[in-house]
Amino acid sequence: MTLQQDRSGWLTARGVGKRFAIAGREVRALAGLDLDIASGEFIAILGASGCGKSTLLRLFAGLETPDEGEVRHAGARISGPSLARGIVFQEHRLFPWLTVAQNVEAALLNAPGSKPAKRQTATELIALVGLSGFEGAYPHQLSGGMAQRAAIARGLVNRPDTLLLDEPFGALDALTRAHLQRELRRIWQRQRTTTLLVTHDVDEALLLGERVVVMTPRPGRIARIFALPPELPRDHADPDFARLRGKILATLDAGPAVPAAGLTEHAA
Amino acid sequence: MSLALSLPEAAPPRSVRWPRWPVALLLPALLLAAWQIASQRGWIAPGILPAPGEVWLTLRELWESGDLASHAAWSMGRVVQGFLLGAAGGLLLGTAMALSPRFEAYVRPSFLAIAQVPVIGWVPLLMLPLGIEEVLKLVILTKAALVPVTLNTRDGLRAVPQRWVEVALAFRYSRAQLLRHVVLPAAVPPVFTGLRYGLTSCWKALVAVELLASSEGLGYLLVWGRQMFQMDLVIAGILVIAAIGFAFDAVLARIEARLQRWRAA
Repeated sequence: MTLQQDRSGWLTARGVGKRFAIAGREVRALAGLDLDIASGEFIAILGASGCGKSTLLRLFAGLETPDEGEVRHAGARISGPSLARGIVFQEHRLFPWLTVAQNVEAALLNAPGSKPAKRQTATELIALVGLSGFEGAYPHQLSGGMAQRAAIARGLVNRPDTLLLDEPFGALDALTRAHLQRELRRIWQRQRTTTLLVTHDVDEALLLGERVVVMTPRPGRIARIFALPPELPRDHADPDFARLRGKILATLDAGPAVPAAGLTEHAA
Repeated sequence: MSLALSLPEAAPPRSVRWPRWPVALLLPALLLAAWQIASQRGWIAPGILPAPGEVWLTLRELWESGDLASHAAWSMGRVVQGFLLGAAGGLLLGTAMALSPRFEAYVRPSFLAIAQVPVIGWVPLLMLPLGIEEVLKLVILTKAALVPVTLNTRDGLRAVPQRWVEVALAFRYSRAQLLRHVVLPAAVPPVFTGLRYGLTSCWKALVAVELLASSEGLGYLLVWGRQMFQMDLVIAGILVIAAIGFAFDAVLARIEARLQRWRAA
């Protein structure tokens, strides 16, 4: 824990509020949200759809700007996208007119380095996600799982210090999802890139996160933050895992009734 | 596809596709048979609808005398010129409209109003300043290609999905990079649709213009045949016009497929 506190403040949100106009009505996506993510941490943001979790991720990505408060990365205010923060969306969003290798290299367009060096980096990342041999394939030739792997390679190719994942496995079948979750955990354990994963899947949050941030909707705010014990077995059959799962589900169900408790725990 | 098929995770193979051209020939073959029977039984006067064999003979004569080639060359030359001018103009105009809302606000309403008047509607007006020679035809054909190319280019560039634009933003693409690496490739399919419409509409307008004012070309061949009461000539002309129009479109479809090899087969 001491180590983590030393590295804290890598990604921060302070008093963040965000409103959207939907069909002429103003919707508060986020209100008074504070969050502090440590460098190298894997944090899972969990909530039902409409709780503002994707909005929070997009604020960190620099694709949206907050209406109130501010978001910071390594101390600097986030005012737009940065190559230091990689992003993977729910859909793979590969460019269909480019091959896998070209798609990954497309992320390096504004990165320093020579063309051969970039090609080399792209090849390495494609290998990291287990797609070697498919560099020349077009997205329509890939299955959903393979396309999402390519999207993860693209998100990591700039060697970002922070990786933002917006429900990256939401559209995949259960087997592929489980497989990619293990792969993602392996990659994170190897690279220790600060990772923020947005998900509505409790098990996914528990399998991958070091901390699980539970959000509740209308307006989106943090209900509670669960710090998972480092020795927690990432196994559905384990009783501790199951107990934690029950507590998290209860927090999700309770909705905004418990934010006070959540804030205390967060502050502590 | 073979690449993906060898994979455990790959998409399932598509169902077997039969070649489509034999099916496409079925309807023309039936029509031809009906035509043949109708003329044999004398259901239609030969002066109005000559027998298929007669039309075939006329076609062969036209071919052997070189008349067909020379008329077709005139028509195709005019269409190629008009199409190239109209398509180039349409690509520029559509791109400008898509990129500059201000330019679009000034130009688009007038453009749409002009586009509403069919090509032939302009002929009486344009005849006075331009005469009835090649300039008139070029202007009409340019307009015929310009309208669909402009509209499809504009819509295609505008309709680039936000999800790809966001990816480009996340990688800090400049406006020029966004245009070159995302907007243009994404707009290839709709732009090509516009080009194909443009060429078809050009070809149709050509025949109309040649019917009105011309002394050579395939449209003129039709007028002349009607004046001479040579219906075999008229039908032969129609068949050639249809065949060339079909071939034009097929050539563009080929180029389109080549540019979009990344699309699912």
